[in-house]
Amino acid sequence: MSPRAVCAGFRQQAIQFFTDPQWIIPSLITPFMFTMVMLFLYKDQMDGPVVLQAVLGGGVLGMWANTVFASSFSISYDRINGTLEPILISPSGAYSVLIGRSIWSTAIGLANALLVFAIAELMFGTGLSVADPALFFLTLTLTLFSLASMGMLIATTFILTRRGRILSSIMEYPIYVLSGAMVPITALPEGAGMISLALAPAWGVDAVKHAAIDGYSSMFGVGILEDSAMLAALSSILLAAAFLVMRRIERKILETGSATRY
Amino acid sequence: MASPEYVIAAEDLRRTFKSFVPGSPEKVAVDGISFKVGRGEIYGILGPNGAGKTTTIKILSTLLSPTSGKAYVLGADVDDEKAVRALRRRINMVSGGEKGLYYRLSGRQNLEFFSDLHGIPKREQKRRVSGLLETVGLSEAADVKVENYSRGMKQRIHIARALINDPEILFLDEPTIGLDPEMSREVRGLIRRLSDGGTTIILTTHYMFEAEELCDEMIIISRGRVVGRGTVSEIKEAISDVSCIRVVTEEDPSAAVEALAAEGLDASSTALLNGRFAVRFATRGDDGLGRYERMFSPFRVKSIGIEEPTLEEAYLSLVGGS
Ligand SMILES: Nc1ncnc2c1ncn2[C@@H]1O[C@H](COP(=O)(O)OP(=O)(O)O)[C@@H](O)[C@H]1O
Ligand SMILES: [Mg+2]
Repeated sequence: MSPRAVCAGFRQQAIQFFTDPQWIIPSLITPFMFTMVMLFLYKDQMDGPVVLQAVLGGGVLGMWANTVFASSFSISYDRINGTLEPILISPSGAYSVLIGRSIWSTAIGLANALLVFAIAELMFGTGLSVADPALFFLTLTLTLFSLASMGMLIATTFILTRRGRILSSIMEYPIYVLSGAMVPITALPEGAGMISLALAPAWGVDAVKHAAIDGYSSMFGVGILEDSAMLAALSSILLAAAFLVMRRIERKILETGSATRY
Repeated sequence: MASPEYVIAAEDLRRTFKSFVPGSPEKVAVDGISFKVGRGEIYGILGPNGAGKTTTIKILSTLLSPTSGKAYVLGADVDDEKAVRALRRRINMVSGGEKGLYYRLSGRQNLEFFSDLHGIPKREQKRRVSGLLETVGLSEAADVKVENYSRGMKQRIHIARALINDPEILFLDEPTIGLDPEMSREVRGLIRRLSDGGTTIILTTHYMFEAEELCDEMIIISRGRVVGRGTVSEIKEAISDVSCIRVVTEEDPSAAVEALAAEGLDASSTALLNGRFAVRFATRGDDGLGRYERMFSPFRVKSIGIEEPTLEEAYLSLVGGS
């Protein structure tokens, strides 16, 4: 992996973001709408956990929409745009660029979460307090990065098929539910809860709640350390898998010449 | 070394593709092409659309593996993953058309992005990017978004992008396609200057005049095979038996033109202002005029004669029309 190429991917995505209004919808407007709906629904029973659930839900939703949209779009964009070939024949290759873009998505996700908190506070005066702000910030960042890694894995996997865009759209909704960001995982049917166990963001959301709420009782019955360890382990697996898929893609392009063809 | 230094050696390259139509046979894009390129040359791969130019250049620039045959670029086997990784630091390519840039980024930002990917040292990056913008005459438009560039400016920033790692070999796939004559001339001037600076250039084109103007040596390919090779003068020599026939008739000779096309001759008729029709086509060998006189007689031949073919016409006769 090349740090220079990671930064380049980050910067390119950032510039693209600020110069292209189409990004505003998935990354800012969607989470805003979602949080508003949640807060209106629960406005009579505003207490810490409910607001947090709403705010986290909004944050993760926005983040995920942004990630799925940004990663799968960015790589198909490169393919259609003809920039995939010059990236592929550069010594850095595409993987580092994708990592950089995922870090940008993470940053936008954080900005999003802060925005959502501010809105909740200003409009509803939720008086939301966070038990451990530093840990909260850290676990939130890691959770967002795990979402970005997942988006990256999905995006790369879908390069191998021509129906990438459709598949990533189908994947969009289950993640909201399974990550525990929208509703607590304990409210899900048994089987669905099991799937959550394999999802890095679900552990992340659990860790975030630990950091935010005093005396929070874990969805998985574990402490913040175990949550974070699982988050890190599962994220690493996602990144490694994305790396392998990217290698596979590079080989496939060499074999079939389908870098620019569908 | 006693022999000249070859930086590219392609040996019996072959590349097939699965057909887009399921069940139909494989498409042979490149069918046993061999050639060698010396350091510092401008080498042309000339051929009509679909001849296999892009496929050949993709194989050489490590974007596509050959189905069989060998290609060595700067001594590296393009089918050897490890060798390719090192090779990619020393080559670069520009594919034809408008694609291959981030339109929302400025010209400078595009160059910075790709220089990061090539790991150009930070302290050198700024200077190199400005230098390249200067080389391709885009210093003034450096901070304008590429989406606002003209077609010619895009092509020049493309070339600058491909020069970012100071490549020893630059592959250019139809670098003047879609450009107006003025812009094409600019791009050809740029290619000349790069070559004068010592870069080896492999260029594909379907314009004979472009190959004639730029290339030290070339191959002419058609349907994936080499049909002619050598320097411009050698090619001219090889096609010296091509002659051009011009017939003027009083009636529309479309039927005869179709008959010629069926023989693989690239004939076309134009209506003249005086109500007559002129047909011009290239033939090979010495088959005389008698045959064509008979062919056109139903259309009332006013005149028929042999003329000197242009290089373009000679080339078209070599690749069998199309
Ligand atoms: N990825 C591909 N899959 C299937 N057929 C292809 C592919 N790439 C090229 N071809 C076919 O191979 C032939 C040669 O193509 P190409 O090398 O692009 O020619 P040129 O660049 O000379 O126009 C064409 O008939 C084209 O349709
Ligand atoms: Mg081509």
